[in-house]
Amino acid sequence: MKRKSYVVSIIFILCIGLILMGCPKKTVVKDEPSAKAEAAKIEAERIAKEKEKEAKEKEVKEREAARLKEKEEQAKREFERSLVAKRTPGIEGEVFESGLLKPIFFDFDKYDIRPADTEILKGNSALLKKFPNVKIQIEGHCDERGTNEYNLALGERRANSTKKYLTSLGIAADRVSTISYGEEKPFDPAHNEEAWAKNRRAHFLITAK
Amino acid sequence: MVKYFLCILILVFFFIPSVEARVYLDINAPTFVQIPIILPKWKSVDKTPTALTAKIYEVLVNDLALSGFFKVIDHSLLPIYLKEKEGIPGMLSIQEWASSGGEILLAGEATLEGDGLNLRLKFHLVDLVEQKHLVGKQYDGHLQNFRNMVHRIADEVIFHLTGEMGVHNTKMAYVIRQGESREIFIADFDGANVKPLTQNQSINVSPVWTPDNQKIAFTSYLKRNPDLYRIDLSGKNLQRFSSHPGLNVSPSWSPDGKQIALMMGKEGKSDIYLLDANGGNPRRLTGGHGNESTPRWSPDGQQIVFSSDRSGSPQIYIMSLDGTNVRRLTYEGNYNTSPSWSPKRDRIAFCGRAGGQFHIFTIGADGSGLKKLTPNGSNNESPCWSPDGRYIAFSSTRLGGGSRIYIMNANGFNQRPLTTSKGGESSPAWSKRFE
Repeated sequence: MKRKSYVVSIIFILCIGLILMGCPKKTVVKDEPSAKAEAAKIEAERIAKEKEKEAKEKEVKEREAARLKEKEEQAKREFERSLVAKRTPGIEGEVFESGLLKPIFFDFDKYDIRPADTEILKGNSALLKKFPNVKIQIEGHCDERGTNEYNLALGERRANSTKKYLTSLGIAADRVSTISYGEEKPFDPAHNEEAWAKNRRAHFLITAK
Repeated sequence: MVKYFLCILILVFFFIPSVEARVYLDINAPTFVQIPIILPKWKSVDKTPTALTAKIYEVLVNDLALSGFFKVIDHSLLPIYLKEKEGIPGMLSIQEWASSGGEILLAGEATLEGDGLNLRLKFHLVDLVEQKHLVGKQYDGHLQNFRNMVHRIADEVIFHLTGEMGVHNTKMAYVIRQGESREIFIADFDGANVKPLTQNQSINVSPVWTPDNQKIAFTSYLKRNPDLYRIDLSGKNLQRFSSHPGLNVSPSWSPDGKQIALMMGKEGKSDIYLLDANGGNPRRLTGGHGNESTPRWSPDGQQIVFSSDRSGSPQIYIMSLDGTNVRRLTYEGNYNTSPSWSPKRDRIAFCGRAGGQFHIFTIGADGSGLKKLTPNGSNNESPCWSPDGRYIAFSSTRLGGGSRIYIMNANGFNQRPLTTSKGGESSPAWSKRFE
């Protein structure tokens, strides 16, 4: 009895084994169309994802561009806000001053750009590159010491050495005019060292914006 | 101006000046002793207001003091018995004046005639040492020109004592700072009659007289560029006559009036150019890297003195009219600018920096005989010569609070402010004589 049931078990197991062996073959044939659909689905998902990614990237780019544009607009607004129209009695024409175009200063009887002031000129040059329609006039000024005529010549030198530095940074020469006021337009009219240091300067005016 | 003088008639020569005019004063000597000159009180003839005569007397005393040649003894300084004596003393009473310490006596009287507008001034100049009359003259003119008549007397006195006319009938042009603007003014030699020539609120600088003595040329920023203009002494007829972009500054006319030397900034730095008298046809005289300023002609018209920083610091140079034969004149100090050539002698005045301050110097045209003329303690700038080369006008900060115009003798003696203004004056320019 025990032996009989053992045989039956083996046969059963074999049968099961046969069934199991036969099954895969049957499945492959039977499931072929559904596998293709599956692949297509995956592909579609991939494309969708890619599209989504692209869209997202585009959106980021657009947002970035908008942000840059906004930043530009903001810079432009800031620049325009910084402009102060200036009319001087007895001197023809209207010009503008901007706090964003910083003056530089000189040593007594010197017209070379002080090393520390090159950063200021780089800043001014960057601003001018941002606004290519802007034209400027550089005023060369001196302190009251020394004769008036010599100081007019010295102011001419100061304005021109400043212009030369800006053009070396890539600013077109025709965007920059120069004028010397010698000692005749002091920033501070006092008669002391402190005033003199402030008066030896190159000052920037905007003649077209 | 000229027409006023035409109506001053010299009517009478009371005494013929001695043929061999003795030169009492060699004003070209490096040092000279001032001549003590006595001025008795002037007499008011008939109904002439004593206040007018007193004013005439005051102007005359000031003129003689300004000249630097005299130790003026006015009537207030005289002994009691001479103090109140008025008018022209007779020869018989010369002796008592001679004992009062003066060497020369200048006496006179004023008469207001006609409708009270015609003024007659009469003077006598007497050598008290040799007890002889030197000259006596009478001038008639309009009351309103009394100052010019007095200046004429002072000039005559100087002529008879030094051999050359004085410069009392000259004028000074200069710049006054008025807030943000700079305006051109003119004044008489003695600082009287200050009047504005420009009132355009612009920056008007660096005045010079045109050769005809009838206009002032100057640089103005009216068109937002330092352009060269000229204007009549009446303040009318403003004309622009050099307007190249950049500097058009500090013109100097050739002695024949045909050419102008000018500072121009056409090359991005200042150079000396020669222009036609109308401002056209600019020719560059200086090249290289130097920054050049303040060209001034030599009196013979053959050379131009100017300042240049070609050696690294501004120094005084002389060149020929074609820009060649350049020679350096100054080697002392590292800041020598604003030269001016004496109209009479081979001497050049300039502004130099010494001991941290600016001073007026003179130097021979051959580079010899450098002399500092202004005292330490303040800044002194922009020298210019009187038409006779005996005086130098300049600006000085010695009274504080900005600069004023001063006059001194060419040897540095007798430095006096031109006016009693608040300051802010600069860049004097001296006219020729108005005669």
